[in-house]
Amino acid sequence: MSKTKKIVLGVFAFYALVFVGLIVIYGITQHKNNEFQIQNEFKLVNWVSLGVFSINRAVVYLILATILTIGTMFWISRRMQARPNKVQTAVEVIYSLMRDNISRGNMPDSMAAKWFPFLGTLFLFIWYCNLIGYLPLPTNSEEKFTLFGAHIPAFALYAATANISVPLVLALVVFIAFNWVGVRAQGPLGYLKSLVPSGVGGVGAFVLGILEGVSTLMRLLSLTIRLWANIFSGHIIILFMTGGLAVILGLQALGWFALPAGIIIYLFELGLVATLQAFIFATLAAIYIGGAASHH
Amino acid sequence: MPAASHLPVAASSGSFLITPNVGLMIWTLLLFAISMYILGRWVFPRISEALDRRQHAIEESIDHAEEMRRDADALVEEYRARLRESRDQAQEIIERARKSADAHEREATEHAQQRREQLMEQTRRDIEAETRRAIQEIRREVADLTVLATEKVTRKVLDEADQRRLVEDALRDLDFSALAPGDGDRN
Repeated sequence: MSKTKKIVLGVFAFYALVFVGLIVIYGITQHKNNEFQIQNEFKLVNWVSLGVFSINRAVVYLILATILTIGTMFWISRRMQARPNKVQTAVEVIYSLMRDNISRGNMPDSMAAKWFPFLGTLFLFIWYCNLIGYLPLPTNSEEKFTLFGAHIPAFALYAATANISVPLVLALVVFIAFNWVGVRAQGPLGYLKSLVPSGVGGVGAFVLGILEGVSTLMRLLSLTIRLWANIFSGHIIILFMTGGLAVILGLQALGWFALPAGIIIYLFELGLVATLQAFIFATLAAIYIGGAASHH
Repeated sequence: MPAASHLPVAASSGSFLITPNVGLMIWTLLLFAISMYILGRWVFPRISEALDRRQHAIEESIDHAEEMRRDADALVEEYRARLRESRDQAQEIIERARKSADAHEREATEHAQQRREQLMEQTRRDIEAETRRAIQEIRREVADLTVLATEKVTRKVLDEADQRRLVEDALRDLDFSALAPGDGDRN
């Protein structure tokens, strides 16, 4: 048996042993909890009432993300040196990713130069929104704890992008942008015609035109839902694994059992999904915009 | 369920999750626009500029390094050519020296040979001349003695011409070839 195998088996054995121990300690007593509703973790409560502009949790996260995006990037951009330190190198890698992979990889260079600020901001904004979603912040105003007499909202994981409005409006901007580019490049009629593959005529063209039109509309939905569902489901799973399930089912042992999985999923979300979804959103935006300009 | 009664209906059912919130959408748009404006105007150009500058510096140093390498190559090539040239030259000099030495030696040998032959010839000629002279001397001496002897014997003096003729006659039969080193029998 190899060393790695031994370690893995050892970890599993320890895990099983602890679980059995926990069952022995707590027993399998179940009392269903109907009061705790996990979706309310994502509920928006107006903290400052300003009519439509009321500030709620998601708005705070957005403002935080905006400040961090602008603040860090601005700070780095003022201290660009010929011999970069580690932070600058990381920023340069991200910048190259945005400029070369996202923008230039999907559209002609002249277009990429024009659209880069949009695509770069899109990536960074979504990325920061996703990332701060994995920081536990005292933003759960439904549950409060008291610290030195002050009522502080409970620490919670939340992300602006886990609320459908945020991805939806960004997807709408992308949708308007690529349609506008298409109309500008090929004229309103030309753009409509470009939806139908060349060489198809008659009824086939009509049917395909409708299908392509629908699929263009679907881009709006798929962009929105891909980002929202990924972040939302990530948060839901983390919530379930790190206590939610145990609270709902009233099974304490299950809570301990699921905790390692919750931590692993947390790391997976933070390390991969947050970045990947921002990258995919920006890349798809670039592909749509680049594709609309060229006849296809 | 009395515990949940204080919650709004939408909140407890969960449909708020997929209901767009207009206020939040406007906030998002606004904050995104602000971010894009500031990043596009003050941040991205600075980063891009710095990256381009570095790119230029790298390209320049690569160009410079290449140029230097080319120069070095050229220099090495030149030195190599020069080395080859001097080796050829050295070879040529040695060759020429050897040839010249050979020629000199041959010439010297020939010259010595010639000189030796000349000397031999000279010596032979000297010996011959000396021999001839000696024979002439002997002949004259013999003639004189003969005349003297005949005078004494005959008491008669022959005139000079008769006498010489007689002696010449007598001596013609005598063989002096033994005295001459080479072709002496002519006399």
